[in-house]
Amino acid sequence: MAEKEEEVCFKKETVSKLLCSFFKEDKTRLGSDATLLMREMLKVFVQEAALRSLKQAEAEDCNQVEIEHFEKILPQLLLDF
Amino acid sequence: MYRYFLLTKKETRQRLKAAVHYTVGRLCQKIEEEHRREFSRQTIAAIAETTFRECDIFAKDLEAFARHAKRSTVSAEDVKLLARRSRALSNHIQNKSEELAQEQRESRKKSTVKRKSRETEEESRE
Repeated sequence: MAEKEEEVCFKKETVSKLLCSFFKEDKTRLGSDATLLMREMLKVFVQEAALRSLKQAEAEDCNQVEIEHFEKILPQLLLDF
Repeated sequence: MYRYFLLTKKETRQRLKAAVHYTVGRLCQKIEEEHRREFSRQTIAAIAETTFRECDIFAKDLEAFARHAKRSTVSAEDVKLLARRSRALSNHIQNKSEELAQEQRESRKKSTVKRKSRETEEESRE
């Protein structure tokens, strides 16, 4: 039997609690479909942050991805999201 | 003896941060394996912290979009608005939204079929 590759993502409950904790008003709720879409959004955000940092490290010929690499790509990352 | 099961606001925040950090770590690990380059612990922590803070911005925006549409529940449409700044991101989220809607339709069909076959079974027994 072929092993199914486990897809890493945020737990639905985590996304929901996380976003709800930042709402200003008590009455604001997060729909189920919105939660699932935000889960994807966050996953993409993290992947972009990581991949761009990695590409920066590669461009600078560094073996490890350091915080300086992340800092360099951060401005554009925030502008894109 | 009365025990408090409610977490303080600070504890909840800490737990959420930890949960984010955990998943960020795993996502970075996958990228490490694919690209054969390691992230320093500091970098992973920084990505996690940034993601956590970005959620604050996302949540406030989503809340504002919903309120603007005179709703109190944030919808998929609000999330799509959130992704408007980059064409690639916007397309990706749109596609995901359609994918999820498709999955929902299919799972509803399945449960309808299940229910109908059960009803037919019960009928034939009588």
